[in-house]
Amino acid sequence: MTAVRTTLTALAFALLASTALAQSAKTTLTIDLPNEPATLDPHLQWNTDSYSVYRNIFDNLLTRDVSGEIVGQIATEWTYLDDTTIEFKIRDDVSFQDGTKLTAEDVAYSILRIIDPALKSPQLSQFNQIDTAVATDATTVKMTTKSPYPALLAQLVKLSIVPKAYMEKVGAQEFNVKPIGSGPYALGEWQKGVQTELKANDGYWRAKPPFETVVFRAVPDVSTRIADLKTGKADLIRDLSPDQTDSIKETENTKVLSVATERVGYMYINAQAGPTTDVRVRQAIAYAIDRSALIEALLQGYGAQVNIIGAPPVFGYTDEVAGYDYDPDKARELIKEAGAEGAKLEFLTSPSYSRALVEAIQQMLNDVGFDVSISASDQATFLKRRQGNPENAGSLAFGAWSCACQDADGIIFPLFRSGSQWAKYANPDYDALVDSARSTLDKDQRMADYKKAYEILREDVPGLGLYQAFAVYGANAKLNWEPTANESMFIMDMSWQQ
Amino acid sequence: MLRYVGERLLQAMIAIFGVLTIVFIVMHLSGDPTLLLVPQGASAEMIADLRRELGFDRPLWVQYVGYLNDLIHLDFGESVVQRVPAIDIVASRLPYTIQLAAGALTVAIGVGIPAGILMATRRGGWLDRVLTAVVVTGQSVPTFLSAILLIFVFAVTLGWLPASGIGGLSNLVMPSIALGALSMSTFARMTRISVADELSKDYVRAARARGLPMPKIIVRHVLRNASIPVISIAALEIGNLLAGAVIIETVFAWPGIGQLAIQSIQARDFLIVQVIVLLISFVYVITAVLADFIYAIVDPRIRLAR
Amino acid sequence: MTLATLSTSLSARFRRIPLPILAVIAILITMVLLAALAPWIAPADPSRQDLFARLKPPGFVGRSGITYWFGTDDLGRDLLSRVLYGAGVSLGVALLSVIVSTLVGVSLGMIAGWFRGWVEVVIMRLVDIMMSIPAVLLAVLTVAVLGPGFLKLVLVLGLTRWPRYTRVAYGQTLQVANLPFIKASELAGAGAARILFHHVLPNIAGPVLVVATAEFGLMILTEAGLSFLGLGIQPPTPSWGSIMSVGREYVERAWWIVLFPGLSLFFLVFSVNLLGDWLRDQLDPRSRTR
Repeated sequence: MTAVRTTLTALAFALLASTALAQSAKTTLTIDLPNEPATLDPHLQWNTDSYSVYRNIFDNLLTRDVSGEIVGQIATEWTYLDDTTIEFKIRDDVSFQDGTKLTAEDVAYSILRIIDPALKSPQLSQFNQIDTAVATDATTVKMTTKSPYPALLAQLVKLSIVPKAYMEKVGAQEFNVKPIGSGPYALGEWQKGVQTELKANDGYWRAKPPFETVVFRAVPDVSTRIADLKTGKADLIRDLSPDQTDSIKETENTKVLSVATERVGYMYINAQAGPTTDVRVRQAIAYAIDRSALIEALLQGYGAQVNIIGAPPVFGYTDEVAGYDYDPDKARELIKEAGAEGAKLEFLTSPSYSRALVEAIQQMLNDVGFDVSISASDQATFLKRRQGNPENAGSLAFGAWSCACQDADGIIFPLFRSGSQWAKYANPDYDALVDSARSTLDKDQRMADYKKAYEILREDVPGLGLYQAFAVYGANAKLNWEPTANESMFIMDMSWQQ
Repeated sequence: MLRYVGERLLQAMIAIFGVLTIVFIVMHLSGDPTLLLVPQGASAEMIADLRRELGFDRPLWVQYVGYLNDLIHLDFGESVVQRVPAIDIVASRLPYTIQLAAGALTVAIGVGIPAGILMATRRGGWLDRVLTAVVVTGQSVPTFLSAILLIFVFAVTLGWLPASGIGGLSNLVMPSIALGALSMSTFARMTRISVADELSKDYVRAARARGLPMPKIIVRHVLRNASIPVISIAALEIGNLLAGAVIIETVFAWPGIGQLAIQSIQARDFLIVQVIVLLISFVYVITAVLADFIYAIVDPRIRLAR
Repeated sequence: MTLATLSTSLSARFRRIPLPILAVIAILITMVLLAALAPWIAPADPSRQDLFARLKPPGFVGRSGITYWFGTDDLGRDLLSRVLYGAGVSLGVALLSVIVSTLVGVSLGMIAGWFRGWVEVVIMRLVDIMMSIPAVLLAVLTVAVLGPGFLKLVLVLGLTRWPRYTRVAYGQTLQVANLPFIKASELAGAGAARILFHHVLPNIAGPVLVVATAEFGLMILTEAGLSFLGLGIQPPTPSWGSIMSVGREYVERAWWIVLFPGLSLFFLVFSVNLLGDWLRDQLDPRSRTR
């Protein structure tokens, strides 16, 4: 027994010693993501986990600075030649990780590649307003859009530049497993299903990358990610629920990082089928939900109340539209007026959304006299119903929306413009406003349009803004990093405190 | 004999074909991956375009015939999410699944069979009761709970074992225990029952009357006869361990095919699921046939059952 | 061996029920009673939330003056009431799905073992097909197609697990079919249904019961697993599995959420297994001739 204990103690010391050694010269940063990247070809899959990884391998045409302003990355400047033509000047000091120079040809190729239907890129819808792009000289790219398109720059923030020559040499399938970009990190080893290892690109044009090696691990269960963080196996973990922040704050050597994002928690209310076709019923739902209780009790303050479906980092956001105050009596009154006492409402949800929030909202609605039943299915089934016929799309659903473009056009256009598969609502006045805002480059005009659109949404309640979501991360106490509103994960912004 | 094997294999092929067909139909009835692939704001036309390009707008039977045609040419298709051949993805996960299944089977057999023998020979004693409690615990704690409790105790609090992922043998310990616990209970109960059955038989009494020591009787005679039902359970359990690891692999971030299967189902990545199902049913059929042969070797009296 | 003689011999045996078995029966009866009486004995509405009394420890006294004997969950609901109501749901799912799979599985198994020939081949290969599709995967897919719900869950669980019973019933039927008294009644002109029901069934009941008791606990666990994957019983209806799958996120902060349903589940599975093993010993034709 004593022998066993001695061995264990020795083992523990050895472990401690090795971690201490590793920390004195931090060369490897380990990040736990919920999943592995689906593809490392930046023109294919576009989910958060893929994006978090490949965004460090590639440079984009444009990016956002810490304050959220759109700034150039590969582009140095851009000018509108007319409403549908824009000219980009390209840096001439950038090289890909294989040493070849990045030119305007590569930029034009990247644009043409992603808008080519043959690529079957799921991202096509974000770029399909682009008509064509051509390199006019080594540092100039001219791009034309099909019509005036104000969200173009916001969408181009998501366009990664791939090397034309390499891509044409190895083909798309090979590129997906052995990508080459111009970013701060190059792919080291991709152990499928386990981890993706990136190696620093020491010749990176902006600065020297802060860590020699970065490992992105795939750890689906959040409780396990927390255990990894606490045991030092991971330095940064994503997608913490607010309830779990306490135990991370209490643990020595770990801390919670959070930031208000452009993501908005909202309710969808079906205006085209079921009891909620009556606007009074929809308004009653708005009065019945106690947003501040949800934020205080369930989100533990990791959320900020909003009156509209939009958040401050989003272009078009306004705080001048009044919200619905929590008023259960008013809600009961409206329900009575509409003759909807005991109305059966189906609340669609999936494991992707907070079960506690959904249950809490269900209780609040039942309290004012509805009969709400929850239908949880997996995400694919949820989306199929939510985006299908209004008759089968349930009465309610909770969502957390971000277009990663920080523009109302990416939020309330797809959500409520009639004809969009998300919209279970139709109002010609509203449609005219969001259409107008999408086809002019005049910022003041767009702001005014969105304000009016939000006012219509307030009256018609086809949906209800609940809160601006915070991204919550767990990190090693020595990691310096300020997370950003668009939930990206740039290693270049991180550093280690010795 | 040869005719039996041929017949058996033919039936196995038909069974595997049936499995693939059932899974194909059920999976396609549950929707397609298009909606999961597009960004949130994609328009209806864009979704329809992508669906057409991916081929999911075709009638089910056309897709099925296409799938079978590819299969005949040993083309297992490409993952619609990862854009990599499905067979490569499954193959890359296979070593981890085999490691975990072996670890779990070691726990299950290494603990379960001795426990079962002890429970049968010490019926009613305190050892029987303690072991019964251990066995039942293995059967009554959900794996998602036992797994996180193990992590909490051995990784976070004591710091003895890594919380997740792959690496050395130490990474294998907790997942194997968590996964093996349920099979361990099955083995223990089955062993207890068969050993107890044998112990009540006349030949055991006769042997005892001849003055043979009990341990010798058990090792030389009882175990041999009691092993038949246990072997048939083992054959079943191997199939279970391969895919029953869905939750364990998720919690321990173990990159086996259980985790891949559930993620692929959730992502409606049909072709990966089909390859996994094909693999599992193949393993299942092989172990079932092998089990039959082992019966025949252990007990020559048994005719080869259909 | 007929059902009549079986019951006489059983009642003779049941007069000498050992004490542990009596205790186990008492536990089971108590659990069933508690589950059935939950609406009357539960101190609170199991879905009544209090967002400002979340994750409170056992013995906490709420604003309204009620005492939370088991503490509260992540939405401030009374855990004692949820465990009581959850008992009915968990027991119900497990019991009904075991009944469904026993009925389907045993009938098919006896038919295959008795009639042999192509019937046997078809049924047993169907068993192979079903057994080689991982049950969890099949359950997830079926829930995706059918949608969630109590009865659908019972059907999904029942219809994915029957092959286990079929294999046992089939193997036992093969053995029993050759016994002299069965041959005798066949010669005496008894119909297949009569022989299967009156003679074969009582003789294979023991092994089937062992499978059923093991499956019973497993069904509760499978429901729990589906809850973990977000596809089990729909909230806010509590089941032990769903309470635990929520509680696992709080093992550090609020251990009571997993402890109480966990203990209940342990005692339930323990009792059912012990009872099953004992019943098996009583019903086994061979052990009776001892």
